[in-house]
Order: sequence, then C-alpha cells, then structure tokens
Amino acid sequence: MAYEALDFYDIDALLTEEERMVRDMVRDWVDKEVIPNIEEACREGVFPDKWRVDLGEMGILGAPLKGYGCPGLSYIAYGLICQELERGDSGVRSFASVQGSLAMYPIWDFGSEEQKNHYLPGMATGELIGCFGLTEPDYGSNPGDMITRAEDKGDHYLLNGAKMWITNGTTADLAVVWAKLDGVIRGFIVEKDDPGFSAPEMTGKHSLKASVTSELVFQDCQIPKDRILPGVKGLKGPFSCLNNARYGISWGAVGAAQSCFDSAKEYALSRIQFGHPIASFQLIQNKLSWMLREITKAQLLAYHLGNKKDDGTWIPEQISLAKMNNVDIALEIARMSRDIHGANGILDEYPVMRHMANLESVKTYEGTHDIHNLILGRHITGIQSFTREP
Amino acid sequence: MAIGVLLKQVPDTTAKIGVSEGRVDETAVSKWSMSPYDEYALESALRLKEAGGEDVVAITCGPTRAAKMLTDAAAVGVDSLLHVLVDDLSALDSTQVQSILAAALGRADCDVVFCGKQAADTNAGSTGPGVALLLGASCVSHVSEVSPDGGGYLALRASTGGDERVQVSAPCIFAFDKGDEELRRPNVRGIMMAKKKAIETISPSDLGVSLDNSRVTVVSHTPPPEKPPGQKFEGAESVATVVGKLRDEANVI
Ligand SMILES: Cc1cc2nc3c(=O)[nH]c(=O)nc-3n(C[C@H](O)[C@H](O)[C@H](O)COP(=O)(O)OP(=O)(O)OC[C@H]3O[C@@H](n4cnc5c(N)ncnc54)[C@H](O)[C@@H]3O)c2cc1C
Repeated sequence: MAYEALDFYDIDALLTEEERMVRDMVRDWVDKEVIPNIEEACREGVFPDKWRVDLGEMGILGAPLKGYGCPGLSYIAYGLICQELERGDSGVRSFASVQGSLAMYPIWDFGSEEQKNHYLPGMATGELIGCFGLTEPDYGSNPGDMITRAEDKGDHYLLNGAKMWITNGTTADLAVVWAKLDGVIRGFIVEKDDPGFSAPEMTGKHSLKASVTSELVFQDCQIPKDRILPGVKGLKGPFSCLNNARYGISWGAVGAAQSCFDSAKEYALSRIQFGHPIASFQLIQNKLSWMLREITKAQLLAYHLGNKKDDGTWIPEQISLAKMNNVDIALEIARMSRDIHGANGILDEYPVMRHMANLESVKTYEGTHDIHNLILGRHITGIQSFTREP
Repeated sequence: MAIGVLLKQVPDTTAKIGVSEGRVDETAVSKWSMSPYDEYALESALRLKEAGGEDVVAITCGPTRAAKMLTDAAAVGVDSLLHVLVDDLSALDSTQVQSILAAALGRADCDVVFCGKQAADTNAGSTGPGVALLLGASCVSHVSEVSPDGGGYLALRASTGGDERVQVSAPCIFAFDKGDEELRRPNVRGIMMAKKKAIETISPSDLGVSLDNSRVTVVSHTPPPEKPPGQKFEGAESVATVVGKLRDEANVI
C-alpha cells in the first residue's frame, strides 16, 4: 500500500512545487532503498555505502547551503528532506544532518575561500564524508569545558585529546573538530590520514544501529596551518552548526512519528480482538487521536520555524523548543504505537520498535531534552541554571 | 525533428482504488503516477538522446493534474513538454485519444516515438499500434531496449522464441515493456531546471482534432472480489495438506 503521510492541516498546500518535488523524490527513495534494507543494515550495524552514493546523486546533502556545488534549497525543503529520511530511519537522517549541518555548514560559514572550494563540492556529491567532533567522554552537555587542545607549532598545529559519540566518525574523510587553542575554542579540519589521528568505531548500540558512531583520538596529531577555520572563535562555532541540525531534527522527528502513526493505524484496523477490530475501541481511538493531534502540532511548529529560518527572523530558543517538543512527542508516539501493536510491536516486521529505540538517541543528542528546557528557562527568566557558578 | 515520448498519468499501482456507482472514483485516488511501462519508454528515450539523438518531447493527454507528471519528466531530463488538456479522459475512446496523440506528435515534429505497451489503468494496449497507424509509422511492441543503428534503430523485444532484434527506420513507434535498464531518479538540479520549464498546454481543437461522439463506452467498473483470508499451517504433520493445497488450489506445483 502506498504510504500516505499524515497531513491533517494540509501543509502540503503551503509548499512550493519545488519543495513538493524534492520531498517526493526523497520519499520515493526511502520507499525503494531504505525501507526494504533497513532491518538488515541495523542487524549488521552498517550504513550501506549505496545510501551515501544515492544521497549524493539526489543532490540533497547540505541542502540549504548556496554556492560551492551545494543545493541551495529553502530551509523548508531541507526540513522536508529530514522528515522523509527519518520516516525511513533516524540513522539515515543523522547521516544527512551531520554531513550537511555539522560538517559542511561550518566550512561554508567559517571556512576560508580555499577550504570551501577544496571540500564543499565533494561533500555535496557525497564523495567526501564529514563528521563533527564536539562531545568528549567527560564533556557532553557542557562542551565549553572540553579538554581537547591545539598547539601552534609554528608550521603546523598539534592536536591532543579525544572525542566520543561521533556520528560518521570511522567512515569520514574529514572531521570538523572543536579544540582549544590558547584557551579559546576553534574549529579544525582533520583529514582521515593525518598522522596521530584515529577513529575507532563504538559498538554495542541498541539505538541508531544503522548509523556509524565513533571515537576520534588525537595523539600528537599534526595538521597543516591552513586547516583552522578562520571565521569563528568560541562556542558560537559549534552552536551555530547545532542550530541548523536541531532545526532539521524537528522535522525528522515528525517523519518518525508519521511512520509510527501509519503503522499503528493500519494495525489497529486489521487486528481483531473480542470479535472487533481494535481500532473500534475507544481507548485505541483515543491513542490514535492523540497521535494525530501531536503530529499536527509538531508539523505546524516545524513549518513555521522553517519559514522563520528562510526569512532570517528566528532565534535559537525557538529551535530548542521545536527540537525538544517534536522529539518528545515522536518518542511518545513510538511507544504508544508499539503498545497498539501488542507483541507484534517488538518485531522487526514493523518499524515502530526501531523508531522508538532510535528516538532515544535523538532525544539525547543535539542538546538533551532537558538542556533545551534549561535554554528556554534562561530565556524566560534571564537566569542561567546550567551551572551553580554565577 | 525530435524524439517523442507519450506519457499517461494513472492511479499509482500501490494506491487504493475505490469504485462508487459503477465507476472508479478518481477523487479518492490518493496518488497519481506515471504509468510504469511509460517510465521505461521515457528512460529509453532519454538514453537515445544521450547517444546523440534529438531532443525529447514529452506529450500527455489528460486533465490538469497530469501536468505534474510532465514536470516530473522534465526533472529527469525531458527537453519540452506538451499537454493536451482533456478534463475527462474516460469520456474518449482509444481512437480519439490516438488521434489527439498523433496530431500532437505531428505538431512537435517527432519521427521516433516511445510509449508504454499498455497503461496501468485501462490495460488496453492500443496506443502504440493505433498512433502508428494514424501516422503511417512502423510499430515495434514489447520492446525493452532501443539503440541507434546506422540511419535507423535497433530494438530488442521479447518474442515467444526468445529475444528478438528488430531493425527499423523512422517514422517508428516503440511500445515498451519493462526493461532491464535502471530508471533514473530525479535530483535537485533536475528539479530546479524542471521548475523553469514551461508546459505548452493546448486543447484537442487547437490540434484540429474534433471529438465527435465516442464509439466505445465503458459501461461499468466493478471491484475485484476480496481476497480470501490467508491460511496458516504449523508443524511437520501439515506438510501433506500444504502440498495438496499448493497443487490443487493454488496451482503452483
Ligand atoms: C548516537 C549518538 C550520536 C551522536 N553523535 C554526535 C556527533 O556526531 N558529534 C558530537 O559531538 N556528539 C555526538 N553525540 C553526543 C551527544 O551530543 C551527547 O551525548 C549529548 O550532548 C549529551 O551528552 P552526554 O551524553 O555526555 O550526557 P550528559 O551531559 O552527561 O547528560 C546526562 C544527563 O544529565 C542531564 N544534565 C546535564 N547537565 C544538566 C544540567 N545542568 N541540569 C540538568 N540536567 C542536566 C542531561 O539532560 C542528561 O539527562 C552523539 C550521541 C549519540 C547517542
């Protein structure tokens, strides 16, 4: 049966034809390439290389960036791409988020002209894979206290330290790494063959199994002087990247929720208990109606935020709200959908348990749910509560 | 001269089809797509162009919604788009549709034409041969591949005796079966170009085709009978029953 995306308030009618075509292109690709292969990819713990090639060929990597071979689409189109990818699997959306918003974006915004010309065209076609190294074993929610250091050695920089939980790390051709140079956070481009750099894969994940997660280890890692991103200093660098990725996640979560809703609806209509389809029972209808309500609100939030991204009137706190809310409801919908499927809900025949497990990561990365609460709390009260120091 | 490709928008093969009052309810169709065999015709037309052929013109005859399919065709590389606007295609019989398409091909100056061997909605299979008759062109059907060959074309087609290679010269029509070629996907660059591509929209009378009373009328549609529920067997002792059913009921062994 053709997938019919829930669109209760007809957001489709608000899209441009170009946005709709991009969305349909990605939707078809997910139907043909991701959904039939995702369970095997998860079992084997790999991100199939064909997906990298296809994403590059479709020309959707770094979607909202303009110039240097990048697509130059609207933020709404970027959101729709994330929504469709995550309808397939959060791991696929993660790949695209990291490549576009976390690796291409900092080079595009803070890189030198030479760096942009050197890396961006290949990254847009998927020939070069990027990753983003911010989190460290001891510094997750407070990256400002990171340990990784860069030293200026005259004709090169020397990096020492370790990053953890880095999506695409092992498969990446280049890493955008945030490290302190004379106490100030700076961005560096590290290439996979740089001496003193290694990226061992982390294993044993129960979530985002089709996404590669790695450590990045820098042991007297030498990089040329022209690999520093000249355009930014301090936490503003990584945080600007996160803003874009978090925006995409607010749409992606809608896609995962739509998939769980779709599966729950179909299942409830066909599963007979006590002589009737379970969809005819009020408790089930209440659950489905709650899903419809929350997905619709999440869609409107994401769409409105997309317009604000496109006209430049957004503030980061609005992104925090959308990321936090949409992932939260998607996770709740995944759990509810799992419940509606009964025992079948735990099988890989249905997408729900996989979405549920994936969304646990999505809730944590790109600023945990509660970190976004704290960001909003600071916005409302003017008082920061991240740390006890004033 | 140009390469023509005839495309029809039909309910997606995965869409639910509802019948109300003896008619397929078009308003209830959730997704409209290019007819699957037409996709292979389009792919092959684009390959012929890439092998040094002329520009590709996509032509459809259908209601307003069919324009989207033309834009989709532009996104994978079609050069120009011609839409003969007919609000209710089901009111025309196949000869009328063929007259429209033949006139449109004449207007677009096409001497080699690609189409699907049949459309997924009517399954009539008359368009290729019918248009060929009107144009005085040769028609090769059940084609899976076309390549340029001297001044003409070499078509690969399935025949009862195995694969058949047919040499044909223009004017000619290839009615396509499912081929082995991988269908191209659109990409963002194609979509951006398609957005700028104008669709020439005309009416049958602009083509000088008058639509007198249709001679063939579809009387009614009925939905196929519902599939009986699946049967489940467990354990080694049911092997004989299952084999019996596969042989006598399913006729697969
Ligand atoms: C699959 C996956 C992929 C990832 N990919 C990347 C990547 O590509 N690049 C990258 O740099 N990072 C990546 N991360 C790391 C991710 O960004 C961090 O896990 C996240 O920032 C949280 O850090 P932490 O895990 O150290 O949790 P902690 O910061 O230790 O938080 C633990 C708990 O404490 C809470 N908490 C922390 N501080 C406070 C406070 N002040 N007040 C109240 N509660 C608080 C948190 O909300 C959370 O519930 C990835 C993570 C995962 C799971």
